Amino acid sequence: MRHIRLICLHWCRHAMRSGSGLVYLMVALVFGLSVAHILIMPVEQLMLKQKRELGQTDPEAVNQMIVGVGRPIAQWVLGLRSMQEIAEESAAPPSSAEDARADDPWTSYLLEEKPALLSAILLVMLFGMPFVISFLAFNQVSGDVQSRGLRYLLLRTERRHIYFGRFLGVALFSTLVMALIVATIVLYMTMKIRIYPGGALLVWAAQGFAALAILMLPYIALCSLISASVDSPFLSLVLAKVAIAGVLLVAVLGGLAWKPAKYLLYALPWAWQCHLLHPASSHWMAAGGACLAYTSVFLMVGYVRFAKRDL
Amino acid sequence: MTDVVSIKGLSKQFGRIQALREVSFTIPAHSIFGLLGPNGAGKTTLFSIVADFLKADAGSVEVLGVDTRNITQLRGRLSILPQDAQFQRNVPILDQLVFFRLLADRTLSEAREEVVQSLEMVGLQSVAKRRIGSLSHGMVKRLGIAQAFLGQPEVILLDEPTAGLDPANARQIRDLIKQLQSRATIVVSSHNLAEIQELCDRVAIMDHGKLVLAGSVDEITRSDRQFDLRLSRPLTEEELARLCDLDGVREVREAAVSVVGASQGGADYAVRLDLSDGRVDQDAVTTALLRSVLDMGVTPRGFTEGRSLEAQFLELTGDAGSVVA
Repeated sequence: MRHIRLICLHWCRHAMRSGSGLVYLMVALVFGLSVAHILIMPVEQLMLKQKRELGQTDPEAVNQMIVGVGRPIAQWVLGLRSMQEIAEESAAPPSSAEDARADDPWTSYLLEEKPALLSAILLVMLFGMPFVISFLAFNQVSGDVQSRGLRYLLLRTERRHIYFGRFLGVALFSTLVMALIVATIVLYMTMKIRIYPGGALLVWAAQGFAALAILMLPYIALCSLISASVDSPFLSLVLAKVAIAGVLLVAVLGGLAWKPAKYLLYALPWAWQCHLLHPASSHWMAAGGACLAYTSVFLMVGYVRFAKRDL
Repeated sequence: MTDVVSIKGLSKQFGRIQALREVSFTIPAHSIFGLLGPNGAGKTTLFSIVADFLKADAGSVEVLGVDTRNITQLRGRLSILPQDAQFQRNVPILDQLVFFRLLADRTLSEAREEVVQSLEMVGLQSVAKRRIGSLSHGMVKRLGIAQAFLGQPEVILLDEPTAGLDPANARQIRDLIKQLQSRATIVVSSHNLAEIQELCDRVAIMDHGKLVLAGSVDEITRSDRQFDLRLSRPLTEEELARLCDLDGVREVREAAVSVVGASQGGADYAVRLDLSDGRVDQDAVTTALLRSVLDMGVTPRGFTEGRSLEAQFLELTGDAGSVVA
């Protein structure tokens, strides 16, 4: 365990000096803060308008507006309703729209029980961060295999220590970056928006951060597997991108033509990840368990390949 | 003398290329062992299999009695200077070497101390905090040697340790290798045959993945009782025949490559003796041969008893082009 810890910390410590660590930090920050900016900006404008017209802001009214706008989008992101159903619902009289809301405790939980604006940000980040993580995780071993730099380590430690140590190093670095992004967003919302109580924001942010941190693990493990299988870091990055985005694209677009194609989402945690923000503990525990199961499978397959291959 | 490295029937194929073909030999303890061969002979592949970087298709390697497929049991006992392996570009040298020592269960202060000593040994203490990108090729090579000498390894594999070094640095590295012989077995691969002949007790010559010769340098250079002769002018057919008629001389032929001296003009000959019947000894044959040459009005300009390693290497591999003098 000492070697795994040393390799993990060494990787983490020098991640910023390597190109991938810096690129990931920049892309993750730009992505996370842009999402927050795009969602917070209309709210700020509404608050500004209220202040100009009424002389003060009305947090309750602002939140109602967020819930109203956010509900159909959240339902679509969570896969509860299709675009067509949402369009039909908006055209229907108000009473039937109320019925539709009553049938949907998951959206109500996210938008009414929890700070809606933060829920929206977390949902978008859950969707987008798997694309970003490969910028950090693609080069866990492939670059060192190509440059043969790994040979300086191979007589000093075991292959499993290198493999799992670097996986944990990536996971630790990614978790720290995630914490930085979520903390920045929460701080901004607490200081500037002030429509949610600080405690509620903090608790929900902690849950969201935990969901993001767990969700990253299977995608990092997938990158470990790819990185252990090819010598070229560029090829490793391309394959990681194609695998992560390809599964989603083929499942969604293929599902339109042939319904069973949507089950391809289960090749990666795509079908599970939104459940990490589900109100029922059985759901989020199952989602968390699924993420860990995917992680274990990808890690083990990658390790077997790494242990047997020429380096 | 016990063997610390034992290689048996080692084979390795990369696609259609057979890099090693049933290579077998042993390396005795506390020797400096030279691995020779032209480019593509399989020297680096052999080193890589011994260090378990590459997996052999057939055969086995034992180092210090441990099968290298269980390489973790050799942690701290076997070290290597791999060829063309790059250090991390953006991490200071000191941090990289200290990290290696931390993996050997040293404390941070112990690790720093050992690394500083090792860097001093190769004259790099002043650049310890610099990054690889700011070092010259020769400095990077010395850094590779410093990491191979870290700790107290019992077997050290050095893949072309002086390639790219200036003569002064190469001399320093050779001296270091000689000093380490008392506490470690050192295996050196090199194209520099003069260096191998100077450094090594024993050598193995490889060609096209096969072991073509292994033995002590002394045995190899004296094998077949042969010497090389440089004369002031080429001999005629008649003069050559007269020399071949001398008692104890089996063959006199023009040498393919000049190995005695580098002066312009003259001609080089390889003389093979046949002393098997015991009627004459080597000194008597040599005296008779040189006297005959002088009688022909030819001046001997160089004389080397036994064959140089280079001559043997060239004859076995037939590859003059790859030799770096």
